[in-house]
Amino acid sequence: MEICDKLKILADSAKYDASCSSSGSNRKNINNGIGNGDVSGICHSWGADGRCISLLKILLSNACIYDCKYCINRCTNSVKRATFTPREIADLTINFYKRNYIEGLFLSSAVIKSPDYTMEMLIQSVSILRNEYNFNGYIHCKTIPGCSKELINQLGNLVDRLSINIELPSNDSLKLLAPQKQKTGILEPMSYVSNHIKQNKIDTNRFKNDFVPAGQTTQLIVGATPESDLKILKLSEGLYNKLSLKRVYYSAYVSVNNDKNLPTLEAPPLLRENRLYQSDWLLRFYGFKADELLDETHPNFNHILDPKCDWALRNIDKFPIEINTADYFTLLRIPGIGVISAKKIIKARREFLLDFEALKKLGVVLKRAKYFITCKGKYFNKVYKFNQNFIETNLIYQERSYLPMPEFKQLSLFEQLNPTKEDKIKCLTGSL
Amino acid sequence: MSNWKLINKTFLYDGTFDGLLTIVFDCYCKKTFPQKIYAESNYTNNFLDDIFIIKTDYDKSERIFNGIEKNICAKALYNSYYAFLSDDNEKEINILKYICTGFDQGPKINNMLTISYVYKVINMRKQTLSECHKFKGLLRFQEIQNNLYYASIHPDHNIIEPLGHHFIKRLPMQNFIIHDKTRNLCFLYNKNEYKIIDDINIEIPDISENEQKYQELWKMFFKTIAIKERTNPRCQMQFMPKKYWKDLIEEP
Repeated sequence: MEICDKLKILADSAKYDASCSSSGSNRKNINNGIGNGDVSGICHSWGADGRCISLLKILLSNACIYDCKYCINRCTNSVKRATFTPREIADLTINFYKRNYIEGLFLSSAVIKSPDYTMEMLIQSVSILRNEYNFNGYIHCKTIPGCSKELINQLGNLVDRLSINIELPSNDSLKLLAPQKQKTGILEPMSYVSNHIKQNKIDTNRFKNDFVPAGQTTQLIVGATPESDLKILKLSEGLYNKLSLKRVYYSAYVSVNNDKNLPTLEAPPLLRENRLYQSDWLLRFYGFKADELLDETHPNFNHILDPKCDWALRNIDKFPIEINTADYFTLLRIPGIGVISAKKIIKARREFLLDFEALKKLGVVLKRAKYFITCKGKYFNKVYKFNQNFIETNLIYQERSYLPMPEFKQLSLFEQLNPTKEDKIKCLTGSL
Repeated sequence: MSNWKLINKTFLYDGTFDGLLTIVFDCYCKKTFPQKIYAESNYTNNFLDDIFIIKTDYDKSERIFNGIEKNICAKALYNSYYAFLSDDNEKEINILKYICTGFDQGPKINNMLTISYVYKVINMRKQTLSECHKFKGLLRFQEIQNNLYYASIHPDHNIIEPLGHHFIKRLPMQNFIIHDKTRNLCFLYNKNEYKIIDDINIEIPDISENEQKYQELWKMFFKTIAIKERTNPRCQMQFMPKKYWKDLIEEP
């Protein structure tokens, strides 16, 4: 099989992995090798779906022995199968990298023969790149659930980021849709990697390789199983706090297979995915907790308003907030003010007191924020005072362009209207 | 800076950072600032302007250069330099005011974001750096000879130097040329030193079969990796506006 055909098949199978970030590792270029890491990550292109392309995202093989119901590569599907040799992967990566097409490699694989065998193939590919070609660029590798710890160790010393996909957010769903995978098979290597990273940070030795310097991540499928947003968000919160993961990716479920256990969706639930990402950011950078954003009475996100606005309207007693005196974490709770704006405000108010004009000059977006703040004790609108109804109507009005339009119909002069008895009575009493 | 005198003159300089720092030196000594400052190459003669040509003096510029670092802060030098690389046509006067106020105020100048010229300088720095970051990803090399790579770009700001240094760090064992076609500047690197030259004619030979192969592979990878069900051209365009497309290998 030509390399061109293989790339086509194996990139096509890899595209459902959401992760493509190249940030978090500042690996140096040593001994005049090829490549280095960039802490902030670099995107090299953007695909037709608007997702960034920064890594060469391919599978080593798609000849899977497992039969996960949601996956395109399940063994009972009839799709074209292909397998790269480790040498082919290394050559492709180096040649793409030299032309600045990519920032590194994201290597994943279906399970071929056994988890351990697959892991060995992954290690072989990565070690050709690192040791033979002296490649110091970014490498993100998947860990295969159920492989041995020594292999994780070996791989972790070579790559920048490791990830193990949880895929389904509860044990029941896992049993239903991925019968060959076990919860323990996923969580055990995860906690092993996280402990190893922590240990490695404590006894850092100048002469030793870093173990997974960019941390580990995972991915969940949203919309294939009936879990509520609250349950998913709680799971992510646990992963961030207990296993100190760098990122949890959410991937809206795309129907690729037909199975009685799978839901049939017309389009992937992109809005839900977006809301989950928004609240994920609130967990990681804004000091929010999952319980604050959602609770048992509303376990799912609001369709019209983003999670932060929704939270603010439910806790309207905490507002308005005075821009000139509030501390950093209080500023972050204002809808429309993010990490960058909050830092700018703190910096600028050391020199001058801020008013609305000054905020505009700083580049703070006031579209949503103006409803929730006061500057030098003044509210932005002199006629309407701070009031929940006023704010809610305005916020929803601002979002109108993103909402589905109600259906309107052209009235016809000649159409027969059939007034009901009630209508006639209303005419008599004069109310119509 | 409040008691400084505005003189009704237009200053012209040679368009280098040293030239601008010479102007800063002269203005700071005399406590005056001009109406407008232009690089000689950008200036079109206007009969209302009272022109005054400033000759670059390396002693003066070096004193200011070291003075900024010592008396304001390293961050101020960084801001001024990257603002200078920007494409903005009022950059010189804003940088001049920024540096002079900086000498009076010290490092807290960078917090005074509500003063318009401070904000503008910091904004220009941000725009230059963000374009530079974008091109770190969007630049595409082609192999035109054995181990000689060529890339053409059309950036808004003059980012060729920081961009070149990024690639020297990244690919030290590769000869490369980065060609800024808006300014006709070239960044040349030959595995141990670099040089920036202007006004150059480069003819690209036909690309080899090997190069062709990798370009085809990349185009195919680019097409394959997008998920059909999620097609979103608006989002794609937001991140990668059409002005970048002409120098890409792939066809979005």
